Amino acid sequence: MIAPRLRHFPLLLASVLLTGCATYSATMGEMERQLAVGNPRAALEALEQRGAPERDRALFLLDKAMLLRLAGDYAASNAAFEEAKTVMEVASVASVTETTGSFIINDATRSYAGEPFEQALLHAYAALNYLALNAMDEARVEALQVDARLQALADDDDEPLAQDPFARYLAGVIYEAKGESDDALISYRKAYQAYKAHTKVYGAVVPAALQRDLLRLTERLGLKDEHARLKEEFKREDWPARAGYAQNGELVFLLHNGLAPVKREHISVIYPPVSSQVVSVALPYYEERSNPVARARLTAGDAAVETELVEDINAIAKATLDDAMGAITARAVARAVAKYKVTAQAKKENAAAGLVSNIAGLLTERADTRSWLTLPGEVQLARLLLPPGDHRLKLELLTAGGAVLATREFDVHIEKGRKSFLSHHWIPSLPAGRI
Amino acid sequence: MSLTQLRAARSAAILLVVALVALAGCSTRVTRMDEGEVKDLSGNWNDTDSQLVSKEMIGQMLEGAWASNHQRAHGGKLPAVIVGTVKNLSHEHINVNTFVADIERAVINSGRVEFVASAAERQEVRDERKDQDVNATEESRKAMGKELGADYMLTGSINTIIDAEGKTSVRYYQVDLNLISLSDNRKVWVGQKKIKKQVDKPGMRL
Repeated sequence: MIAPRLRHFPLLLASVLLTGCATYSATMGEMERQLAVGNPRAALEALEQRGAPERDRALFLLDKAMLLRLAGDYAASNAAFEEAKTVMEVASVASVTETTGSFIINDATRSYAGEPFEQALLHAYAALNYLALNAMDEARVEALQVDARLQALADDDDEPLAQDPFARYLAGVIYEAKGESDDALISYRKAYQAYKAHTKVYGAVVPAALQRDLLRLTERLGLKDEHARLKEEFKREDWPARAGYAQNGELVFLLHNGLAPVKREHISVIYPPVSSQVVSVALPYYEERSNPVARARLTAGDAAVETELVEDINAIAKATLDDAMGAITARAVARAVAKYKVTAQAKKENAAAGLVSNIAGLLTERADTRSWLTLPGEVQLARLLLPPGDHRLKLELLTAGGAVLATREFDVHIEKGRKSFLSHHWIPSLPAGRI
Repeated sequence: MSLTQLRAARSAAILLVVALVALAGCSTRVTRMDEGEVKDLSGNWNDTDSQLVSKEMIGQMLEGAWASNHQRAHGGKLPAVIVGTVKNLSHEHINVNTFVADIERAVINSGRVEFVASAAERQEVRDERKDQDVNATEESRKAMGKELGADYMLTGSINTIIDAEGKTSVRYYQVDLNLISLSDNRKVWVGQKKIKKQVDKPGMRL
C-alpha cells in the first residue's frame, strides 16, 4: 500500500515527465536555423530528429509538409497534409483526459488541433502544391474543402477571424482557372466579406486584385446592379477587359513573405505572503519575426507589377490569440488554484512532500507555445496578363524604402486563356529573436 | 478476507489491468479481411463505394442497347472503347482508377465489348513497337500503324453534395459515366450510380 503522505507524488512526477522542461517554440531552434540559411532538407532532418509526442503530431506533420514544399517535393508534401487533416480532425474532438490535464498540469497537454486560420491555410497550401504539379482538378478539390471548412466554422461560431480571406480568394481563383465563373464570383464575394470583417479587427485592406475581379466578373455575368454598387464602393474604373483575358494568359504570382510569429511565454511568479509556497502563471504571447522585405516587383519584358498584401498572418495570429486570451488566463488561474490546494494538502502531511509538490507545480506551469511556425508571415499577390509563350520573369524583393534586397529569375510558360501559378517563399536569412 | 488481504488483491488487480493495457498496445495487429466486407471508418470515399459503383456500372453497360446497335450497324463487329478521363469534381481526393479498372475487366471478359489501350498506356506500347522495328526479327516484328481505332470513348465525372450541421453530415456522391461516339459525337450510353451516406462525428473522446 502506498504511504498516505506520498499519495500525490506519482501524479506530479508523471506530469513533470509528461510535459518536459521546455516549451514547444524553444525546442524548434535547429529547424529554424537551417531554414534561415536556406536549407529546407536539413531543416526537415532536424524536425524528424526532434520528433514530436502524439499530442503534437498535427504540428509535426504541418511543418513537415511545408518543409517538403519548400524543398520542391510537392507530392510528399501533399501526403503529409492529408495525414495532418486526419490527425487534426481527431484532435478537434474534445477529449476528457486532455481537458482534465489542461486544468491540472498545463495547456500543452491537449492535442493540437490547429487555429481556424491554420486549418484554412492547410488547404490553401495543399491547393498551391497541386497547382505546382499542374493537377487542376485536385486543386479544385482542395478549394471545395476550403469552402466546406469555412462554412463549418461560420456555422459554429460568429468569430469573424475564423473566415480566412486568402483561402477564399485562392479558391475563387482556382474556380475561375477551371472556367467556373459562377462559383468563382461566389468565392470572391465571400472573400470580400471576410476582408471587410477582418478590417474591423486589425485593419485589413481589401486587395485591389479582388476589387478588379469582382468588377470584372459581375460585368461578365451580367449582374448590373451589383456591378454598379461595387463600382461606387471601390471608386475604381480600371479592370481587365474580357478580350484581354481571352487573348492572353494570366500569371498569378504569390510571394510567401517571412515566417509566422512565434509564441513565447511570460511567467509571472507570485509569493503569497500567508502561505509558504510559490505560485506561477504562464501565459503565451506572439513575437513577430523581423523581415526586411516589404513587397516585391515582378517584371516580364516591358510589363511590371508590384505585389500587394492579401493575407497578414502576423495580424491574424495575434488577433486570434487575443480573442482566446480570456479562456487561457482563466485556465491558468484555475490551474494555479488547483496546484495551490494540492501543495497545501501535501504540506499538511509532510513539509518535504509539500516542497516537492510545489516544485513540480512550478515546473509544469508552461504556456502553450505551439503554432505552425513554417507558415509565412504574410502572403502577397501580383497578377500579370502576358501573351502566350515562354517568358523570363525577374522578381525583385524590395524593402519598405524601395531598395532591392534580392533578385530571382523564373521561366514560365503562358498559354492563351489559361492561368499559370507561381509561388516564391522568402525566408529572411537573419533569424529574429532568441532561438 | 481481512482488510490488508483485500487491499493487496485490489492492488494486484490494478497492476494486472495496467499490464494488460500496456501490452495490448505493444505490437501491430493485422487482421485479414474479405474484399467484400464492408468497413466504414472515416466516412470518406472508400473501397466499398468503389465496388458499388463498378458493380452497378458494369451491369448498366452490358444491358445497354448500344453494343447490339453498333454490331447491327457495322456487320457484327464488336464495339471498341477507349477509356478517357473521369473528372473528379467532388470534395474529396478520390482515386477513379479503382472502379474504372474493374469496369474494364468485367466488360472485356464478357466478350461483348473490346477495349483499346488508353492514352496513358499506349505510349509505352508504341515505344516497344518502335524498339521492335530496330531490334526484333523480320517475322516477329509488329508493324506500326496497325492499331485498332476506338469507336467510343468512356468519360465521366464524380460529383458530391454535402449537407453538414454540427457533428452530422450527409454526403451524396453521384458517379456519371458516358460513352461518346468518336465518329459523330453522339452519347450512346449514360450510366449513373448514386451513393448517400450519413456520417456522425463523436462529440467526445477519451
